[in-house]
Amino acid sequence: MARTADALLEEIHGPSPAQLLRRRVFGHQGLLIGGGVLAVLFVVAVLAPYLAPHDPYAQDLLARMRPPVFLGGDWDHPLGTDHLGRDYLSRLIYGAQVSLLIGSVAAVISGLIGTAMGVAAGYFGGRVDMAVTFLVNVRLAMPVVLVALAVVALFGGSLQVVILVLGLLLWDRFAVVMRASTRQVRSREYVTAARAIGCSTARVVLSEIMPNIVNNLIVVATLEMAHAILLEAALSFLGLGVQPPTPSWGLMIAEGKQMMLFEPWLVTIPGVALFALVLAINLLGDGLRDVTAPENRN
Amino acid sequence: MKSFMLKCGVAAIALGLSTAAQAGKSEDTLSVAFTKELENVDSYFNSAREGVVLQRAIWDGLVYRDPATNEYKGNLAMSWKWIDDLTLEFKLREGVKFHNGEPFDADDVVYTVNFVADEANGVKTQRNVNWMKSAEKVDSYTVRIHLKAPFPAAIEFLSGPVSIYPNEYYAEAGPSGMGLKPVGTGPYKVSLVEPGKHFVLEKYEGYHDSPKGQPSIGKVDIRTIPDVNTQMAELFGSTLDLIWQVPADQAEKLATMDQFTVANESTMRIGFLTLDAAGRTGEKNPFTDIRVRRAVAHAINREALVEALLKGKSKVVSTACFPSQFGCFQDVPSYGYDPEKAKALLAEAGYPDGFETEFYAYRNRDYAEAIASFLNAIGIKTNFHMLQYSALRELRMKSGVPVSFQTWGSYSINDTSAITSQFFKFGKLDDARDPDVRDWLDVADSATDPEKRKEFYAKALTKIADQAYWVPMFSYNTNYVFTNEVSYTPTPDEVLRFVEISWK
Repeated sequence: MARTADALLEEIHGPSPAQLLRRRVFGHQGLLIGGGVLAVLFVVAVLAPYLAPHDPYAQDLLARMRPPVFLGGDWDHPLGTDHLGRDYLSRLIYGAQVSLLIGSVAAVISGLIGTAMGVAAGYFGGRVDMAVTFLVNVRLAMPVVLVALAVVALFGGSLQVVILVLGLLLWDRFAVVMRASTRQVRSREYVTAARAIGCSTARVVLSEIMPNIVNNLIVVATLEMAHAILLEAALSFLGLGVQPPTPSWGLMIAEGKQMMLFEPWLVTIPGVALFALVLAINLLGDGLRDVTAPENRN
Repeated sequence: MKSFMLKCGVAAIALGLSTAAQAGKSEDTLSVAFTKELENVDSYFNSAREGVVLQRAIWDGLVYRDPATNEYKGNLAMSWKWIDDLTLEFKLREGVKFHNGEPFDADDVVYTVNFVADEANGVKTQRNVNWMKSAEKVDSYTVRIHLKAPFPAAIEFLSGPVSIYPNEYYAEAGPSGMGLKPVGTGPYKVSLVEPGKHFVLEKYEGYHDSPKGQPSIGKVDIRTIPDVNTQMAELFGSTLDLIWQVPADQAEKLATMDQFTVANESTMRIGFLTLDAAGRTGEKNPFTDIRVRRAVAHAINREALVEALLKGKSKVVSTACFPSQFGCFQDVPSYGYDPEKAKALLAEAGYPDGFETEFYAYRNRDYAEAIASFLNAIGIKTNFHMLQYSALRELRMKSGVPVSFQTWGSYSINDTSAITSQFFKFGKLDDARDPDVRDWLDVADSATDPEKRKEFYAKALTKIADQAYWVPMFSYNTNYVFTNEVSYTPTPDEVLRFVEISWK
């Protein structure tokens, strides 16, 4: 009965916003693929202790560089073993934890910093805007990789340092995008109305402005998450990121590099994983923009 | 499928290199790769293995040690004798000319020795030269070298790192000039130096009748290529004829290919862990407790490291020196692989759940990781730091580190004084600071009676092993890989001798 009532309502009023959103989401292939891959990787990372067939730290020097199953290995080590005889699949699974953790925490830290600065600049304008723009320019003048390398070289590489460094370096795009969107929204009638009835600044920002710019925030956050994951891999590849024996995909690529000519799978397996994760996040970000962008709402 | 992919990759890389010089027998040019950048060709002002290789090709010492028989032969000197414990007299070879035409005589020896023995001139490895006080000319072809203290290993050092420079040229050019345009009496003269990048050596036609033998290959072209994969690709593409220090895994694969010869030789380099027994990083440092140090020694499976990672001619080592070195006493307490015993020792020392420590290394990241993982297995959590050699050395000299994975090649000097005395006599790199060991080493280093030397080295080495100041683990080997046109038999001292290479 309810179903027919819904159908009747839809015939009269057209589809509800939630229905429209659902239709846009399920009609967007990129979003579905990206979200699906990311969801799978997320589940894998969370359930790592149950999914990994071996201890990712257990070395067996007498079983080094066993090939993966598809190159003639056996099922005890489906993706083979690394140069110290550690199970490659288990390291890959635990590596997903490291990548996702670094990506999401760095994106949250930089998102908080960038959003606060961007919204303040866009809402208040004037001197605040000038100060924020100056800070963004300063930040943009510093090459991220170089600064990260220097800081890590000074304080030593570890998971926490890498997360902090990336979190404190990647807020620029958040600030720029949030500032622009806030300026747009700020002059809308409902904001003026809210201010006219005497709402506090905090209330105006949090309940009038934020809900209308949060879609941009999500898109930037996904892009920066992918960015942070790639940077972590790059730093670890250079030996300055996550330190062994922590499994990190970048570190796995670095460790396999020496044998690249003879055992290319040591590099391709973590390489493909990294590629898939970053591609998935980017597809998801792209898709989110497509389904939430105002021009698609008509 | 795999080999097809490999060939495609190699072909692509080789295409990219098509501008590189063609090497090989037809051009009488041996192309060789160095992995590290050499800071200065002047052999007194670098401490790199690459520097030793060039030193042996460009210069000569007074004495030569035949690497096959370990017998000392006259090179620039014809004969020598001890006048007393502190004076060595040499009769020099006549008719030898430097590459620039300058004749060799007593003045060159006197100038070189007086220059390098003066600490103010800053020779990089003082240990190699600081046992000499001065040199004195007796006549044009007779020279006396005065020692600071009795030093029985003098002839060994004179056959190794002490090479003779031309006095007139060196006075004018100095170390930096010598580094850019090296001049010696050796079998090869230098025709090109691009610092750190490219060196070209040419056969010295006027080379004297030296125990080193006469050079056979006309030209040696050396390029610095840091990446092993690139080196191998160039070897496949025939733009390199010989690579060395090839990691064991790659050498194993190359050995299965018909067009290459893989020769493996042991080296004098040993790998060991230094433990902060003296408490330089803090008095509460767990490694000040002998039970913790012994636990570390029991935690490491040396046999597995040698068998699976180092391979080749590497051996398990339990002394703080290389077994062939004079005085390297072998019958010391040793620690078998026994993780349970290691855990029990840790518990006894008050660390039933282990502890956390900083772990430093500078080379062979894979070995370092494997070693750290053995420590993790008994509960010692390691914060892994991989530093450049110079940075780690600096840090160790300044404040010490709790544990570090170190290696030492003794400059291929076949005497225990080149390693144990280097590290256990209260120098800045001495983490043990044991006065007994120092005193015994002092006696052993300066005694002229070989039996007495052996006795005191044995005492020192036994105490070092018993106290587990170091955890010696293995000796290194090195792989030389060359094309089938090349004929070479490497020697067990990590020195690549161009004079002994010929075309097949």
